Amino acid sequence: MSKKPAKGEYIETDTGNKVSRKCQIIGTTNIILGGKTVIQAEVIIRGDLLRSVPSSSSSINPSPNDKQQSAVAVAIGRYCFFSRGCALRPPGRSTKGVFSHYPLKISDHVFVGPGSVIEAAILGSHVHIGAGVVVGKFAIIKDYVKVLDGAIIPANMVIPSFSIVGGRPARIVGEIAEGEVDGFDLRDLWRSIGNN
Amino acid sequence: MTSFTPYTYFQCPCTENSTSSRTFGEDLPSPTSDTSEDDRTFDPRAPRAAYSLHPLEHLLYCEDCHQIRCHRCVLDEIVTWYCPNCLFEVPSSSVKSEGNRCTRSCFQCPVCTASLSVSSVALAQTGLGADISAQAGPYVLNCTYCQWSSKEIGIQLEKPNGIYAQLSKVKNGGEPYISAKDRRREDRRDISESPKGPGPNETLDADSQFENLKSFYQSQLADSAPSGGMGFMGGYGYGSPGALSRIMGLYTGSSFGDKKRESKNGNMREVCDSSEGLQLTSTKDDQCAITRIQRVGWEGTASTAQQKEQAQSVRFMDDLRPFSHLLRTKRSKRCRACRHILSKPESKVQNTRFRIRLVARNYIPAITIQPLQQAPTSLLTPMKPVQFVLTVKNPLFESVRVNIATPASTPGRFASKVTVLCPQFEIGASTDMFDEALREGGKEKRRTKAEASEGQLQAEAGKIWERGRNWVSVVVEIVPASLRTDGPEFMKSQQIQKDDGPLREDEDVLEIPVFVRVEWETDAAHEESGGLAAGNKEKELKEKRELAYWCVIGVGRIAQD
Repeated sequence: MSKKPAKGEYIETDTGNKVSRKCQIIGTTNIILGGKTVIQAEVIIRGDLLRSVPSSSSSINPSPNDKQQSAVAVAIGRYCFFSRGCALRPPGRSTKGVFSHYPLKISDHVFVGPGSVIEAAILGSHVHIGAGVVVGKFAIIKDYVKVLDGAIIPANMVIPSFSIVGGRPARIVGEIAEGEVDGFDLRDLWRSIGNN
Repeated sequence: MTSFTPYTYFQCPCTENSTSSRTFGEDLPSPTSDTSEDDRTFDPRAPRAAYSLHPLEHLLYCEDCHQIRCHRCVLDEIVTWYCPNCLFEVPSSSVKSEGNRCTRSCFQCPVCTASLSVSSVALAQTGLGADISAQAGPYVLNCTYCQWSSKEIGIQLEKPNGIYAQLSKVKNGGEPYISAKDRRREDRRDISESPKGPGPNETLDADSQFENLKSFYQSQLADSAPSGGMGFMGGYGYGSPGALSRIMGLYTGSSFGDKKRESKNGNMREVCDSSEGLQLTSTKDDQCAITRIQRVGWEGTASTAQQKEQAQSVRFMDDLRPFSHLLRTKRSKRCRACRHILSKPESKVQNTRFRIRLVARNYIPAITIQPLQQAPTSLLTPMKPVQFVLTVKNPLFESVRVNIATPASTPGRFASKVTVLCPQFEIGASTDMFDEALREGGKEKRRTKAEASEGQLQAEAGKIWERGRNWVSVVVEIVPASLRTDGPEFMKSQQIQKDDGPLREDEDVLEIPVFVRVEWETDAAHEESGGLAAGNKEKELKEKRELAYWCVIGVGRIAQD
């Protein structure tokens, strides 16, 4: 436990990201962080699960920035918060007999609770995901969605904006009221996390 | 023991005029109900209270009535219908004609309600290494959650799109389904070919039976009604003069209604064969069901939750059908009293912004409570005074004066004693974002101040505990009640003497009713409509505002000794 307390738990980058020294980020070159994102201990981000087949549009007319586009496995916006022990995996499936992963896009102000596994295609902005949640492959979660603790979102599910989702399999159990919209802002949470 | 998070619920004034409240197990309204309304303290345990208490986030605020509005005192108006799965906007005209379900390809699993995906059977059979070009052939609906497949009910589709249309043409087991309309057309053709037609005891499916019944009774009503514009002209013609005179006849009991009815009686008759929608039940059907249950067993029967989702009553797993997603709506909200819009979302499905959003948290102070000293357990020890910090945060751009009042002891069987050490104070205005940025500097100062006062561990009566730019916190002293109902008679309160039953659910939660009165001064012109505002600006009229409401603060659970 004499692990140099002076160093602090988090590495703070210039763009305001606070990344725990105890997290596992694999394939860092394929991950984009928008800034001011907190990644806590024991978080796993699988940036190595890259797309192996070129996207159908680029195969028809290859462009110079094609390589750059396909090199992103996980894209994360600003003010996201990944709690202890959650995992981000780009989803994968086989189309026409060939297996490939597809990028995982996460917008701004997304909170992911401890121990949750995210294999979604898109997480919109202002999404709150509770503890122990599984977001299935290629799920699409729109803006202002709250996922209750322990929910299992089946693969390919689409969750519209302003929904409260829970259960196994997850279904829409409620609506976000107008006044709750402001509560999704994670700026204060980002400020509260730090080495001191 | 689950952890307890303190909460604050606000009472919406829309329920205030209902005066009589009863406690559990009491037959007559309590005698306190005849005291004047102002003297009454709000009882959070009254059975009615559960319907009027809301978290601050769920409340709206009407700027014209200057009043809190909850979901019970607003009117909802549907702005947009859309499918929650494909997020496709459905025009309200097609909602009227096609019903409130998605008519595209969005289906839910009949077993677990997860959404179904289309996959080719050919590919599934040959596995991952299948030939790439073999992306054709019959398709099935697959559930990715419970692995249910439409193959189980014998449905395979020819195309991967337009599933709604395809499914409506096929019965479970793969037989083609003939809709009621087509059936009638076919019947007519049959009649022209052979005069006999279908037998009178032909079995019908639910849709065509309903169709037949509806057409039969509509024709009966049309025949029996007096000719001219006096009857039900199809549908529900309750507004027609004929119907009106009939209803009036019912009330007045006059004979002129009866006379008509007598003449009608001869004309009206009931259904008598399947073309009119009559379906005879026989013991054979029951026998069939019983033998089927014996064959398929418990696993083969559908649960009540699964049955509820089906359009027709269904008993067995083999009869379940995939059902399409229910449409969802975006709604705007109006004040019931003055009809002003309180909330209006953008009509586009994908847009999450609001055009109008008058939420209560922008108008009334938020109240939070936390313990002054961090206790080792989350439970409150009975009869031991504890201090809590009550923080009131002002969202308005004007400074407000706040009065807080609590009853000396909480209502209910176990009366805890509550004292607010500083019931009157003033809170500064919530100014711009500019100050928000400076907050980090202020935070440090605040902490040291708190530490300094914590050193004393002494809250003075009549003094504010802490103060921020737009918030003030005061100390509340609470002596939790003992949850014992036994003991000597003279120790008991009147309430327990009356009722010394065992502890009820959540009766150990300490809830304090708090009456909050907020006063502030505002520019009168500020509230006027845009055109007038410019003219009135010179006057600089100050208007006094007042808002008073009850709220309930849940402090914690009391330990049972």
